[in-house]
Amino acid sequence: MKCLVIEDDCSTAEYICNGLREAGHAVQLCQSGLEGQSCAVGEDWDVVILDRMLPGGIDGLSIVERMRELDKATPVVVVSALTAIDERVRGLRAGGDDYLSKPFAFSELMARIEALARRAARQPEHRWLRVADLVFDLQARRVTRSGSEIPLQPRELRLLEYLMRHEGQLVTRSMLLEGVWDCHFEPQTNVVNMQISRLRSKLDRGHAPPLIHTVRGAGYRFGPDA
Amino acid sequence: MPRLRISIAARLAASYGVLVMIAVSTLSGVFYAATVGVLERGIDRKIAAISAQLVASFDTQRLDELVTALTDELGDGADSDTEILLLLGPDGRVLAGNLEKWKRFDVPHGTLDTASAKRRGQRIMVRYIMSDLGDGIRLVVGRDMQEQQAIRELVRRAIAVGAVVALALVFGGAIFFRAQLERRIGEIRRTAHEIESGDLSRRMPVPGDDEFGRLAEDINHMLDRIEQLMNGVRHVSNSIAHDLRTPLTRIRSQLDDALRHAHDAAALRDAIATATTGIDDLIALFNKLLQIAETESGVRARNFAAVDLDAIAEDMVELYDASAEEQGVTLALTRRDGQPTQGDHDLLASALASLLDNSIKYAGRGARIEVGVEADADSVSVVVRDDGPGIPLAEIDRVTERFYRVDRSRSLPGNGLGLAIVAAIATFHDGRLELSDAAPGLLARLVVPRREAAASRAPATGSAHAPRAGWRPAEQPRPTQPAAPGGANSTGHGAPTLSRPVA
Repeated sequence: MKCLVIEDDCSTAEYICNGLREAGHAVQLCQSGLEGQSCAVGEDWDVVILDRMLPGGIDGLSIVERMRELDKATPVVVVSALTAIDERVRGLRAGGDDYLSKPFAFSELMARIEALARRAARQPEHRWLRVADLVFDLQARRVTRSGSEIPLQPRELRLLEYLMRHEGQLVTRSMLLEGVWDCHFEPQTNVVNMQISRLRSKLDRGHAPPLIHTVRGAGYRFGPDA
Repeated sequence: MPRLRISIAARLAASYGVLVMIAVSTLSGVFYAATVGVLERGIDRKIAAISAQLVASFDTQRLDELVTALTDELGDGADSDTEILLLLGPDGRVLAGNLEKWKRFDVPHGTLDTASAKRRGQRIMVRYIMSDLGDGIRLVVGRDMQEQQAIRELVRRAIAVGAVVALALVFGGAIFFRAQLERRIGEIRRTAHEIESGDLSRRMPVPGDDEFGRLAEDINHMLDRIEQLMNGVRHVSNSIAHDLRTPLTRIRSQLDDALRHAHDAAALRDAIATATTGIDDLIALFNKLLQIAETESGVRARNFAAVDLDAIAEDMVELYDASAEEQGVTLALTRRDGQPTQGDHDLLASALASLLDNSIKYAGRGARIEVGVEADADSVSVVVRDDGPGIPLAEIDRVTERFYRVDRSRSLPGNGLGLAIVAAIATFHDGRLELSDAAPGLLARLVVPRREAAASRAPATGSAHAPRAGWRPAEQPRPTQPAAPGGANSTGHGAPTLSRPVA
């Protein structure tokens, strides 16, 4: 992927760029708002990661707004130290596709970037989701594995659907909380772990291979291969 | 009067003065016309009548008879002081009458005119009609206007004196008026200057229920809000400075210890991993503190929208059901009666999450937790009831303090912020958190007032003036200051409070 990183803080920028390069992506870094804006609108990118507060008179949100004015649909992840919920809403309203508050783990950022890139290249809607021998009938809301039905509660179905749509990708706990329970805060106990282990036991009971894999310290990956 | 042009008080006073002057002039004009004018017109009519009578009698009489008639008229004693009658010959000589000489001849027949003449050696003004009787003979019928002039003079002088007095009153009144305005505005300005120079506790004097009183009240409300926000910001920074120092110290000492004592890469790696986890916890703690501080202080904008507490309860119960199951706790949503209200969806959801978290953690294996949404005429509440050990009555009013933990729970993981967050969120919604003994167990009730959509932009004063009690156990006042663990109370660490009651 071709990634543009607009971030003025040197060590954060280095952290993001190194991580992206290690994951095999091409990265360009801009350290001021003005430079960032001309890069963001002047070239084509697969994803733009930008900080909200930038030197140079132009802040992150106005860059997103400018991009959207020019009909650039490039996915944008807004990264900011402004954490309050209304700041997140403001970031998304300006045209950002995702909002991540600082400090963050690189795995969280990477997972969100991949989810966005996948969404940008989304295939037309299918009636079925299929991973290995697991089949999710989206219309009947029924799940079968190797032909036998697995009874799931409605919320478990949503969780499974989210995982299957992000097959092979890292999915973090906060992505699941937002995507499945519409929950934009961090609950105290690890409720997501519990939900996942219950779903895992229902899916994998009597079947192989296991489909839900825990990525330590980061989140989960769904798929037949670990 | 310094700065006359820019003073609004002076401008108001001046325009008020002009209005008064216009009124006085109009009044004087009317008065003048009604006195002097009416008198003069009466005289004119009388002159015209006598003149017409004499001219008419001349048609039937001869000249000498007219002379006799004139002499009779003058001699009758009536009006003889002011009456003027003259018969002039073709050469301008006075044939008969009570003036020695007449000089004006170029006046058209039968029109009223005013001229000066001499009578008994005195110069007088005469109002007269001259009539042409034929053969160059003219008749002058007139009246000495001296008396009228005296009256006119008197009236004019009276008006002039009146005008001067009125002008003086207007001027004096304007100065007084301006001084009054200046005094009232001056008070507001002085107070504003004091506030500007740093004394935010000062308030405008409210002298009464007039325009200035109401303005002062509005300004005071605004100042209350500003002061509250300022206190909020101060409170946020104080709490963060204090509450984060302890865990930061812990992480720092762990790292320092590793740096000095770890002898291989594996030990360092372990230390770094531990520190990273510690920092992640610290960030979570930081976010929670920020959330409490923001909601408690009202710094956070109240972006209320329609919320469905039933849906929130469903989401949260379904989020926590797996955790409850794992802990051997039954979790059930038993009642859905949420009337629509206005609120902050994310905050209310996180409040319920904290309550569930609390109950699942402390109720113990085998317990049953029931969640219900209830509504009455003016509030909606989310109720979480468990049949666990509950909270000892002595401690029930302290568990919403930040970092307070019930003795027997200290061995369990947690940071003592959960219920503090719920209380702060309740306050943020002008609601309350009620904790009571469910005998057995804990009954937690988060009550928020029902708001109509139109009231979503609740006036800031609503929260500013609401009592800061986040929750209320039955009949017990909330302790005003959360106890700061480890002291440091002198930093002003505590709940933001209004510095003065609002009138």
